[in-house]
Parts: sequence; C-alpha cells; structure tokens
Amino acid sequence: MERIYCDHAATTPLSDVAWAAMEPFLREQFGNASEPHWAGREARAGLDRARAVAADALGVAPAEVIFTGGASEADNLAVLGRLTAGPGRIVASPFEHPAVWLQLESLAERGYEVVFLQSGPDGRVPAAEFDRHVRSGDLLCCCIWANNITGVIQPVSEVAAICAERGVPLHLDAVQACACVPVDVGILPGAVTAAAAAHKLGGPKGVGLLCGRGLDSLDAVIHGGPHERGLRPGTENVAGASGFAAALAHAQAGEARAPRRRGIRDAYEAAVAGSLERVRVVGAGVERLPGHSLLVIDDVRGATLVSLLDEQGIAAAANSACASASAKPSHVLLALGLSEAEARSALRLSFGELNDESQLPRIVSAVVDAATALRAAAAAA
Amino acid sequence: MRAELERAGRVADPDGEGLAGSDRCGDRVRFTLRLRGGTIEQIRFGVQGCPSATGAAAELARRVEGGSLLAAAAIPLDALDVPSRECGAIAHDALHAALADALGRVQLVPDERRRIVAMSGGVDSAIALHRERAAGHEVVGLTLRLWIDEHAPDAERACCSPTAVVRARETCHALGVPHFSIDAQDAFREAVVEPFVRGYASGETPNPCTTCNAGFRLDLLVESAARLGSATVATGHYARIVRRGGRAFVARGADRAKDQSYMLARVDADLLGHLALPLGDARKPDVRAEASAAGLAQAALPESQDICFLGGGALAPFLERAGVSRAPGAIEAEDGRVLGEHAGALSFTPGQRRGLGVAAAEPLFVQRIDAARNVVVLAPRERLARLRVELREARVADGCDRAYVKLRGRSPAVATAVSRADGGIVLDLDEPVYGIAPGQTAALYDEEGVVIGSGVIAG
Repeated sequence: MERIYCDHAATTPLSDVAWAAMEPFLREQFGNASEPHWAGREARAGLDRARAVAADALGVAPAEVIFTGGASEADNLAVLGRLTAGPGRIVASPFEHPAVWLQLESLAERGYEVVFLQSGPDGRVPAAEFDRHVRSGDLLCCCIWANNITGVIQPVSEVAAICAERGVPLHLDAVQACACVPVDVGILPGAVTAAAAAHKLGGPKGVGLLCGRGLDSLDAVIHGGPHERGLRPGTENVAGASGFAAALAHAQAGEARAPRRRGIRDAYEAAVAGSLERVRVVGAGVERLPGHSLLVIDDVRGATLVSLLDEQGIAAAANSACASASAKPSHVLLALGLSEAEARSALRLSFGELNDESQLPRIVSAVVDAATALRAAAAAA
Repeated sequence: MRAELERAGRVADPDGEGLAGSDRCGDRVRFTLRLRGGTIEQIRFGVQGCPSATGAAAELARRVEGGSLLAAAAIPLDALDVPSRECGAIAHDALHAALADALGRVQLVPDERRRIVAMSGGVDSAIALHRERAAGHEVVGLTLRLWIDEHAPDAERACCSPTAVVRARETCHALGVPHFSIDAQDAFREAVVEPFVRGYASGETPNPCTTCNAGFRLDLLVESAARLGSATVATGHYARIVRRGGRAFVARGADRAKDQSYMLARVDADLLGHLALPLGDARKPDVRAEASAAGLAQAALPESQDICFLGGGALAPFLERAGVSRAPGAIEAEDGRVLGEHAGALSFTPGQRRGLGVAAAEPLFVQRIDAARNVVVLAPRERLARLRVELREARVADGCDRAYVKLRGRSPAVATAVSRADGGIVLDLDEPVYGIAPGQTAALYDEEGVVIGSGVIAG
C-alpha cells in the first residue's frame, strides 16, 4: 500500500537543499562559532551566511534575525520580552498558536489584561477589529500570520499599520505562512517581530527564528551569554541555521509551487463536498494557505476519521485531540463559532511537497468511505 | 478498525440494549444484541466517538459475537487494544449495560457448580468472591445499582456508586470472572427508600437495611441467580447460615464485633436457603489481610456502615431532598414545659443526647418524637428505661418463650421473656433498655446465637 502524507502543516521531511547546506557543519566544520580560532571562524562564517540568507528571504537586515531552538521558543521570547514594564494590556487574535495562546492565558491569570479579538466564521479577523481594540500604551499585539489549523491568512499589513500608528509592538507567528506564501517582514512598519520554524518548510526540527525591527526593543528573558544578540544564549546551531536558511529561501522563492498545491487542495475539497452531504469548507471565501484544507464533516469524529485514514496509509490531522485533561476541542475551532460537536468533526489535510494529483482518487475515496461508515455507526449510537 | 465497522448498526428487536456516554467529550456507544439460549447470536454497535471509544466498541462486538453471555461479561477493560482506557471504558460500560438488560430475558441451564456472588465493590464481597472461587465454585459477580444521588455530599460513599460498580467489575475481571450489574434504582426507591422516608415522616426510626435485605435485595439477587443458572447467592455478610430440621436460619458470625446477623434477621427462611455466607467464620482483620495479600485495592477502603443511600451525608438534608418538610417546633419536657426549639423533629431518634441544643441541670435524652404535634420530648435517662417492648410484623419459632433480643444494630442482646399477643409479640426484658426507637428491627436470638425470630418495634 502506497503511503500518502497529507500533514505538511505538522511537519515536512528534510529537503535536499537543506541537507546540502547542513552537512558540512555537522562533521567537517564543527567549530563553536563563538571561538576565535580557525574552527570557530569556519562556523561563524557559516552562521553569518545563514543569517544573511534567512534575512534576505524575509526582507529584513541580517542583524534583525536571531536563530532559536524552534518557533515555540521564538513565540515565547517575543511575548515575554515585552513584559518588563510590568502588568499591562495585550491584544491578540483568537487564532494564536498554543505557543502564544497558552502564554497569554497564563499572563491573564497573573494580572495582565489580555483581549482576544472576535472572528467571523471564515476564520479571518477583520482589520477593523484590531483598529477597535488596539490602544496606545498596550504592551503587545499578537496576530498569527496564517493559522495552523484553518490556513486562513490574516490582514497582516493593515494590522501592522494600526499597531505602528499607536506605537504598539506587534508579534506575528509566521510559521505556517513562511512555508507557502510570501512573507516580507521588513516592509511592515513599526516594532514588528515574526517567528518561523525550519521543519515546516523542509528544514530540520529544533530550529526556529525570530526576526524584525522589534528585536531592538525586546528584553532578554533567558540569560547565558551574548549569542544571538543576548536574546537566545547558547552555542549556536550552525548546521541547523544553515539548513533552515536554505529551506526558507527555497520556500520563499517557490511561489510557482503554490498553484499546484492549490489545485490539489481545491480538487480534493470539491470531490469530497460533491460526494458527502453536510460538509463545510472553513475559510472558503477568504485567502488561505494554498495547501491547507479544513473540512467540518457533520456527525463524523475527526480524530476517528484520521485513524481510519491512517489504516489506509493516509496521514491527516483532526486537531481535536480528546483524552486530554480537558477534552475540550481546540480554541481555534471554537473561535470559528463552531459548537463543540462541530469542532470535533474537523478534518485537516495539508498538501505539500509529497503530494501530487495522482493520489487524489485514493485520498477522496478514503475520506468519503470512512466518513460514510462513521456516519452509519453514529446513526446507530 | 475499518473492517470491524461492519458490525456497526442495530439488531432489530434486541434481547439486550445498552447505552453509555460521556458528557465531557460527547462520546456515545450503544450495543444491541440477540440471544439464542446463553449465546450472543448477534451483536451490533453504534458509536459516535473518538478512536478509542470506536475501536473498543468494534473490538468488543467482534469478541463477544457467537460466544456465551458469561464469556462476554468476563472481558476485562484492560484487554482492549485501545490507546485511551478512559474512552474504551465508555464502550465497556455500554456492553455491560446491554448484558444487564439481556439478563432480564435469559434463562441459562442450571449448573450446580455455578455460584453468584453479590458484589458491593467493597472488601468483604471481594473476599467472598475469592473464597467461593477457591472452594471450587464457578463464580459470577453480580452488583445491584441501587442508588445514585448526585446531591449527596459524598455520592461515592454509597455502596452502589458508579465507582463501586466498576471496582466490583474489575475485581471479577482480574480473576477472569464474569460480572453483571443490574440497575434496580427505581425498584429500590419504591421498596426501600420510600417506606424509609414515610417511616421518618410518621416519627419512627426505620431500619432500611433490614428491610432491603428481607424484602428487596436478596429476592432480586436470588431471582437473577436463577436466570444465570445458579441456585445459590453468596454475600460478604459476617453471619452464618445454619440448618435445623431442613430449615435455614441465620446465626451470628464468628467475628462478634462485626456480626451482621441482625441485618439479615428479617429474611425469610426460604430465601436464607439460597444463601451462602463465606465470611461467617471470618474475622475482619483476617479479611483485610487476605485482601492485601491478593492485591485488592479495596483492602484499604474505609468501612461503610452508613445507610448506603445517605451517600456520606446526614439524615436531615437527605430527608429534605426526599421532600420531607422540616418545620421548626418545640422541644418539651415530659410535663409539657417548653425547653427549646428544634429545626425539624424528624431527624431525632429516641435515646439521642447529642445536638439537642438545650441547657438543663441534668443530662436530657430524646424520649420520643410526637410527629403529630412536631414535638421532640426530652427526659432524664432513667425515664427512657423500658422493660416491655411490643413488636409488630413479628414472627418467632413455635414454643419459644425465652430469647435474647437486639433492639438496634449496634446494641448488645438482652435476655427477655417472649409472649404472643394480638397480631404481634410482647417482650418483657430482664433488664431495662434505654432509648428504644419505634420502627427499628428487633432480632431474637437463642443461646447459640441463631436468629429464631424478629419483628418491628411498635410505637
């Protein structure tokens, strides 16, 4: 049975360009980039190169990029580094990744005023909503560039303009966006930071970055040395940064690949919606990442559908893990206005490098058959 | 899982149907099954749930179809191949609900080796099960689900709480023993709880446990045992069954401190003939040690001696929940002097001293409850003394004119003369007894500790 991977939003395999960029630094040029000797200088040169490549891909200056141990770390840094002024107000979209969301929830419990904005059912927060709530003096505004579950792209340019005008720092989680749509951080006005992760776009796991002019006003929250502007101390991961930079440059130069992903995604959604009743496409009317699809299939448990697809060799996601302590569906799905039952009926497929059109008939029939069988079982419950 | 979804659906006109679900995650599982004799000829499931609930439902359906009802009731939750035990439990509960439902329609071929063990979820019945099994019986656990009161302060202390049912089931399954639980809540309310509430409302102090054993619980157990092909039910009571002239009597257990013969005093001889009491010769510390050695979680559970449906709470709030209105009234001396006020007369019982809220020169006790006037009457201890007690609904062995009588569950037996009167029995006690409560059970013993009669203390 041919295995089919439709979960590129979860992670991706290491690309050839990333591997080629990493390999020299794993064994030959192994030095510590902070040391002045020949081995350190080799590593430092590689790190500088990686920073320059990543900066170029995102439209910022090399000095406006720091590498981190992943995007969750970068997100936390971008939030916690704004808090030294003491408790204050933070405004955020309702679609933040848990790396931001859980941090904000924790801050709300510790006396910060955290305002989560409202969204329409299409998954896009109108810029007017930010305009209404972001105030001069706020500690921070957080807006995920494109959400990991819905793939819906937020009105980032307008949000940045609003925040810049009011002098409020803006943090953008650009993890999903960087993989498949142009992300130009440098063009955005104001104290902006943006986070990205290597493994979502063909780079290695365990490497992320935080970039943007907003780094200038960010305070250190972990201490241990001058590395990465003192914001992310620790011996630099030169191989990881090099692989990340190469993969990021490749992804950002890959606009040509987007129509192919979109074509597969649209064909898949049309075929499923044509074969099953009571199926909704989340974000159908707004701008989405080209490979993302989130369907709400009534009376079908997403997690169970995913496990049936897995038996057919198809990797997909439900984003509605149960058996967790709370058994609550994801806050993102609830923020779309879905009921708990609907939120448990969500199925996410994210198409990418490992997909092509020839897989579609198998994917569609597996989804339709499994959903039909589960609906029959649910009708008897 | 995919192939097993083929058993999704419903059996038309089923012999057993069971539903379980969780409000927390919205999962629901329903089984419907058809029997042929003691065999599950066909089973179908419906599920709306996560992979674990779905997988567990599919696996259970596959495993039990074509097998015996008893084998189905012995499949442990832990044997299911699912990632989440908690979610698999929903399917397991639904299957057990269907098996319990099927029990009402089954008649297994009688088998002399088979023995039903009444399981409360506590340590005593668990050891009764172990002992009966060790004695060579083919044991089957049976738990009656009698009462769930979510407003009780500690609902899990009710002996038939959902946790207790699961614990009883796990005790059985750890030994590979089938387990059934029967939902008898409605019948229990009617047969035990409502008479109890009515008794209090009329100023008596009823004893629901003796009523339950005699008129409800053991009947239901013996009847269910018969359906499962067994003539005998074993329980974890600390009491013995003795036979005299072909008749069965209940007698004191070897552990005098723990003796529960009083609790069985009102049970008919016919019914006693179907009972086995494997803890009759046991002492509680030995039972705990046996449970520890067997690795039973129940070994360390606290004793449950309260009335089960109070759920760890006090009587007064229970009676209020049951709709017995609580009106303040007077606390009076025997001569009618008002000594104070009470918030409701019904939760008082004769002989009570604590919580009266009355200051007096000498210690005062509740002498009686005047339900008609909503008055609690207090008196000094010596005024509570009684030498004569009348019993209603009484019976005693022919020719018996002397006995030892227990007038409360935890009081020592007192020697007494026994005589018959109109429709009842009159006891003339050798020594005075203080604080006799109308409504309580009186158990009459002979010299050897055998229960030879019983009745209800009349007002």
